[in-house]
Amino acid sequence: MTRCVEISLIIPDNEAATAAETLRRLGFPGATLTRADLYRLEVDAQGEGPGLLEAIRRIEELFNPNKHALRERGTAPEPGEVWIHEIAHGETEPREGPVRIAGRTLPGVNGIERFTVWRLADADGAPATHETVTRAAETLLCNPAFQVASIR
Amino acid sequence: MVFPGTNSEEETQRACLAVGLEAELVHWSWDRARASAFDAYILPGGFAYEDRVRAGAIAAHDRLMQPVREAAAAGKPVLGICNGAQILLESGLVPALDGETARPQAAFAPNAPLGKYRSTHVYVRLAVPPETSVLTAGMEPHTVIPAWASHGEGRLAASAEVLERLEREWRVAFVYCDANGNALPDTVPNGSALGAAGLINGPGNVLALMPHPERDAWGYMHDGPAREAVRGDAAAMLAPSGGIALFRGLARALGLGV
Repeated sequence: MTRCVEISLIIPDNEAATAAETLRRLGFPGATLTRADLYRLEVDAQGEGPGLLEAIRRIEELFNPNKHALRERGTAPEPGEVWIHEIAHGETEPREGPVRIAGRTLPGVNGIERFTVWRLADADGAPATHETVTRAAETLLCNPAFQVASIR
Repeated sequence: MVFPGTNSEEETQRACLAVGLEAELVHWSWDRARASAFDAYILPGGFAYEDRVRAGAIAAHDRLMQPVREAAAAGKPVLGICNGAQILLESGLVPALDGETARPQAAFAPNAPLGKYRSTHVYVRLAVPPETSVLTAGMEPHTVIPAWASHGEGRLAASAEVLERLEREWRVAFVYCDANGNALPDTVPNGSALGAAGLINGPGNVLALMPHPERDAWGYMHDGPAREAVRGDAAAMLAPSGGIALFRGLARALGLGV
């Protein structure tokens, strides 16, 4: 089973603000942009319950309740989103040992992929079109030399 | 060229002055005409725009890059060091295979295997015929230059096709090596593909170099036995070290006899 956990800032996100300003200068008028970390987890029966989210909330390197919101979400990009994932160049051998997240193991988790989720909206808050998201990824948000962009 | 977050401009300027160049710090707030009035450009190290989105990604689109793009197209020397090298790859100015500069074709990606920042003394060896680049034209073949690697994102990453072309088309200007010029796997501090430390564009006037030669430009900056050898000898400590070679190359490219 696949589960996706999204962690986003509830305080101002300077990185997203800088990226949005850059996109506006590059011809994306009115673009608003939010950003989140997303962990796609492959879990077995032990990882299917609510305890998994609580376990992640306890990992201070990932989640600070004063700064972050955490939610479980769908396993594919939504309209207006691009998911950026790094290609594992340079790792020719699979890592041995248990799967870790921020140095910790999680019960029932057998695989982890990390993404950065960028969510683009127009001036009215509506999700940006597929074409706009694709162009933003190609222009700024994704370097295809070592990253892959997933767009709905 | 100084972006918000650049932090190696002073020592880079000092190395330029030491080889007889006139060097001015150009800040991001300068108007374009004023920023365009130079014979060569250096993008120093640091963390431009805090490495937001990716190292070098925001700076690559900064308006301060327009004069750099124009200079590169006009054949003027352009040198990017560390974060400056990351900016050059993000901007597409290097490697610019087929002259394509609109999109990045390669990246200095997070170090392998753990993506950790690393600061360590290194050596790099000229891996192309010297005349391939105007910046190295005065060097001996296989020149070894000492430098300090100081980065979290210095691993050359690109598709297999691009990597093959980088080798075949003499774009890997410098590779990591030991003090004797031997390029061995354990001399690569970051998992960089091809052991690459520096890349050039096709005409050879734009060089992106990850480690810092300006941080080993004088004897006291060196590491290991060579530094111990000059300890207590003020003249030797303040004598040029190997890292100054790259700035001499820049000076030669600009017609100074150094």
